[in-house]
Amino acid sequence: MSSSQFGSLREDVLVNLKNDMQTVEKFDSEQFNQLVQMIFSFLADPSKSSQLFNQLETFAEDNNVSLPGLKNVFKSLLTIPNNALKKGSTAATFHEELRSLGLSEEKADYFTEQWKKNMATLSSMALGQTLMVNRLVDVDWKFGVTLASSEITKVGNTFVQLKLVLSNGTGELKNSYMELSLQQFYSFLHEMERVKASLEILS
Amino acid sequence: MQTKSIARALNIEKEQSTKLHTALGRLLKRALFLDTQDPEILFNLFPANFHNNLKELLVKIILDNQSTWRKQAISNQVSMPRLVDFDWRVDLKAASGTISRLSVPTCLVQFKVQNIPKKVGVVPEEDLINMELSKETLDTMLNGLYKIQDQLSSIAKKE
Repeated sequence: MSSSQFGSLREDVLVNLKNDMQTVEKFDSEQFNQLVQMIFSFLADPSKSSQLFNQLETFAEDNNVSLPGLKNVFKSLLTIPNNALKKGSTAATFHEELRSLGLSEEKADYFTEQWKKNMATLSSMALGQTLMVNRLVDVDWKFGVTLASSEITKVGNTFVQLKLVLSNGTGELKNSYMELSLQQFYSFLHEMERVKASLEILS
Repeated sequence: MQTKSIARALNIEKEQSTKLHTALGRLLKRALFLDTQDPEILFNLFPANFHNNLKELLVKIILDNQSTWRKQAISNQVSMPRLVDFDWRVDLKAASGTISRLSVPTCLVQFKVQNIPKKVGVVPEEDLINMELSKETLDTMLNGLYKIQDQLSSIAKKE
């Protein structure tokens, strides 16, 4: 297994995964397909976890299996496409892995087929989740003209104020304020246009 | 310190030099506030019995330095933290914990911002603000900046 996508997993986790696959083997193909559908719809939109729990509950009731057990099996099933994504597996290796975990040819075929179908969505989801340092969330701005101040009666100085909302990765948002002179604003705009140009060359 | 050197240079008492220093400071502040090129208005700042030649000399000095002082006053007026400088960098993400191969360009921007001065005579520290933007975020931000630019130029036209 050293060359496989699960090579990096701990031995006990792997044994666990294999045991769970044996449980999955007991489901008939229709039940299995239903589970696989649930996996991919959950992975495509993880925010709908409450919907998933409802689905699992109904599934457990309909098929007369224990809910906690089903949840464990489902968790194991979830790790498979996640791991494959991490390793960048091809469809062929994905299929191979499923077989090596003890899944039947028919079930592995279906899982692989669904994996191929959903890979693009999952990849783009994963891209959106890649680590970012102080991700910019929002920019608010205002500009104005200073007419007078305690120092000078007539000023007529234009300023631009920016509020940057940054996410620091812990779920907290931080506001940063700054004031730019007109000249600074134009140079910032110009520089950001250069950034855009180089981003476009790269992508 | 300043009053001491004034006292020594003019050969007057320390107390007198302090008075002179504050009086001149007030005069210059007042003159700057009026923001005028008209010497007549500045002449009015002086008492009627003020030495005429000295008055003219002071007004001349004020008029000569006014634009520099004005610029300085504007750069020190009340404001939000001021942007001092900024830098940017474009990176290409090649791999991450969730996906083994990717090629996503990303942009890092660092702002150097001067804090509001809190103590007299102490230059405030500069804050560094880092942020990361994806291509989409950058596009959105640029659109915002263009909006500001449009508004600014429409105001310029009116003027």
